[in-house]
Amino acid sequence: MIDSLPSAIDLPPWLQAVAARAGERVLPKLAVRGLDFHYGDAHALKRIDLDIPEKQVTAIIGPSGCGKSTLLRVFNRIYAIYQGLRAEGEVLLDGENILDARYSLNRLRGQVGMVFQKPVPFPMTIFENVAWGIRHHEKLSKAGMSGRVEQALRRAALWDEVKDKLKRSALSLSGGQQQRLCIARAIALAPEVLLLDEPTSALDPIATAKIEQLIEELKGDYTLVIVTHNMQQAARVSDRTAFMYLGEMVECDATEKIFTSPAKKQTEDYITGRFG
Amino acid sequence: MESAIYLRRRAANGLALGLSVCATVLGLLFLAWILWVTLQQGIGAIDWKLFTKITAYGAEGGLANAIVGSLVMDVMALAICAPIGVAAGTFLAEYANRTKLGATIRFLNDILLSAPSIVLGLFVYVIVVLPMSKLTGGAVSFSGFAGAVALALIGLPVIVRTTDEMLQLVPGTLREAALSLGVPQWKLTVQVLMRAATSGIVTGVLLALARLAGETAPLLFTAFGNNFMTAHPFDKMESLPVAIYQYTNDPNPALHAIAWAGALLITLFVLGLSLATRLFLRRHRSPND
Amino acid sequence: MDIQNHHIVKSYDAELQRLMSEIADMGDVALTQVEHSLLALEGRDATLARQVIDGDDAIDTREREVSHEVLRLLALRQPSARDLREVMAALRIASDIERIADHAVGVARLSLAMPAGEGGFPENLHALGLLTCDIVHEVLRAWRATDAALAHAVWQRDDDLDRTHAVLFHDLLARMRQTPDDAAWCTHLMFVAKNLERIGDHATNIAENVWFVVEGESGLS
Repeated sequence: MIDSLPSAIDLPPWLQAVAARAGERVLPKLAVRGLDFHYGDAHALKRIDLDIPEKQVTAIIGPSGCGKSTLLRVFNRIYAIYQGLRAEGEVLLDGENILDARYSLNRLRGQVGMVFQKPVPFPMTIFENVAWGIRHHEKLSKAGMSGRVEQALRRAALWDEVKDKLKRSALSLSGGQQQRLCIARAIALAPEVLLLDEPTSALDPIATAKIEQLIEELKGDYTLVIVTHNMQQAARVSDRTAFMYLGEMVECDATEKIFTSPAKKQTEDYITGRFG
Repeated sequence: MESAIYLRRRAANGLALGLSVCATVLGLLFLAWILWVTLQQGIGAIDWKLFTKITAYGAEGGLANAIVGSLVMDVMALAICAPIGVAAGTFLAEYANRTKLGATIRFLNDILLSAPSIVLGLFVYVIVVLPMSKLTGGAVSFSGFAGAVALALIGLPVIVRTTDEMLQLVPGTLREAALSLGVPQWKLTVQVLMRAATSGIVTGVLLALARLAGETAPLLFTAFGNNFMTAHPFDKMESLPVAIYQYTNDPNPALHAIAWAGALLITLFVLGLSLATRLFLRRHRSPND
Repeated sequence: MDIQNHHIVKSYDAELQRLMSEIADMGDVALTQVEHSLLALEGRDATLARQVIDGDDAIDTREREVSHEVLRLLALRQPSARDLREVMAALRIASDIERIADHAVGVARLSLAMPAGEGGFPENLHALGLLTCDIVHEVLRAWRATDAALAHAVWQRDDDLDRTHAVLFHDLLARMRQTPDDAAWCTHLMFVAKNLERIGDHATNIAENVWFVVEGESGLS
């Protein structure tokens, strides 16, 4: 599409700006191209193609074992901590292949944050939980660090609840608060992409609603990818929904389209509860 | 029909319950018996003399040098085996987990765990006591240090095993969460995992201490025994278990009483350690469960 | 892959099925109302006309029941995709059927109020009546079978209906000019025709909803 545009030199400045914006919209934040993933002999992801647009929420749904979590775990290469797992193909973050061994893990994990199914606060104080990750990436003064921690906790809608007990153990928080602390911990590193792996499956409905509200607030600043078993949640929080089955990407489209008239019968059967 | 089945189930349940209660009572009975006899026989001989006089005075003396020797050797042994054990356990859980090397080391560690302590004593005699004798050119160099090395070999596999197991109990998601922040493995291990497993690891160390505090056999060929007070690590050194061993072999009933008192001291020490462990665990409730 | 046409939760299937057949039954009742109102008109049968007027309450009740059932399904089952479209369509079709029945009542009322006229019952009004009934019948068949092609065919027949209506309108105007005494009679028949034409429009709406259920897009062309 961009290739067919006349070269920028010929365009008047205002049109150049328009063309540049059009170009931005065409390039997704994360682009998966022909991704294959193996767990030993098991072929878990089969030639996946997927575009994840910037500053939107993309939900990945599908039955257990369809590979949705595996796909999420490729995006920050967290799978690499286990032996016998390998990913082939391309995952382009702003056009750069993160699967390339030369792409620094340190840099990748600063850019792509992750929140897990169960809240996993570190056995430290609430303050240290957020500060710990930052400290590894930047050297900040004491005041600078306090500011950053407060900013992250505010962003995660947790500040008001914990500002008087920052020195208390993070394990003293409720499950929902712990999960928001994990989100604060992730966004404290100022990532560009935030991966959420079934972030509310261990939470009660109120805590879940708070996380969903938070997701909506965060999508202005981050590109979010959420894996969820709860289809209604995908429908509530996401702009785009991808349906996976048996390691394949069946369909990815606007959430509204997927939940009102999906193109594929497999998708339809899954979201209407007709799966055998 | 249905009630017959129900009755049979109730009978089977009652039988199983009865048998397990009997087994528990039997076990507890012997434990209480041992504690009771130790207390009964030992309490009479506990007096100031026991803590102030040395074994050289025999029946007129006490166990002061044995107590000091035991404390010195136990602390030294712990100082040797705790760091090595924790480090080795960490290696097994975090770096060699699910590898052939890890499995081999675990297997060997289990052998060490069940090795007869007298063998460990002989081993230390050969690799520490004899070379040191050659070095000094004098008589056979028994020493508190050698005793501590032998005791360390008793405690080491206990600490390796508990550290390994406790670290493996830390949920994998904690590792993933830390690594997903881009933090390196060593920082994760030291600052998150060790902290999450602290209570378990401390328990392991205290258990090891309790175990080695009661050992006699490895000390016979290493620390040997000494009727005089010393805290010098390269002297022959007396210890409570060895003193008890020697006194019970003596025909003098007065010495038997002192031996009982020593046995009571060790028992109280181990009991105190267990209580301390419990207290510690209660204060630091294990996270993430 | 292991696809089945039933929901994993079987009672959900039963509820959706019940809603679908409830709509179809309601449609049958409305169709009978239309047929009876036309018979009453042609045979000047006041009893039958009153029967049609009295029968409308039953249809209104059924529509309320359908609305309630739809509300319940939306709240408790949270249908999506085709299920959602079926439920949406059911709600809209129930409203169209209710309006069709209202028009039947309109025809029945007109038949009661209509003065006697000279000359026979106009042939093309009879034809318009038959066409309307057939279209309603066919669109209900399309709904029962969720047959998009049939729905499309019915939708196209609305043009025939409009054309027949236009011709009839023209004839009646000519007749009024010829015999001004028949003006009142002719005007009543014009209103009857208008009612039939509106019934045709509602049948078209139903056809569009059948299409929407199957194809997932609204609007036929």
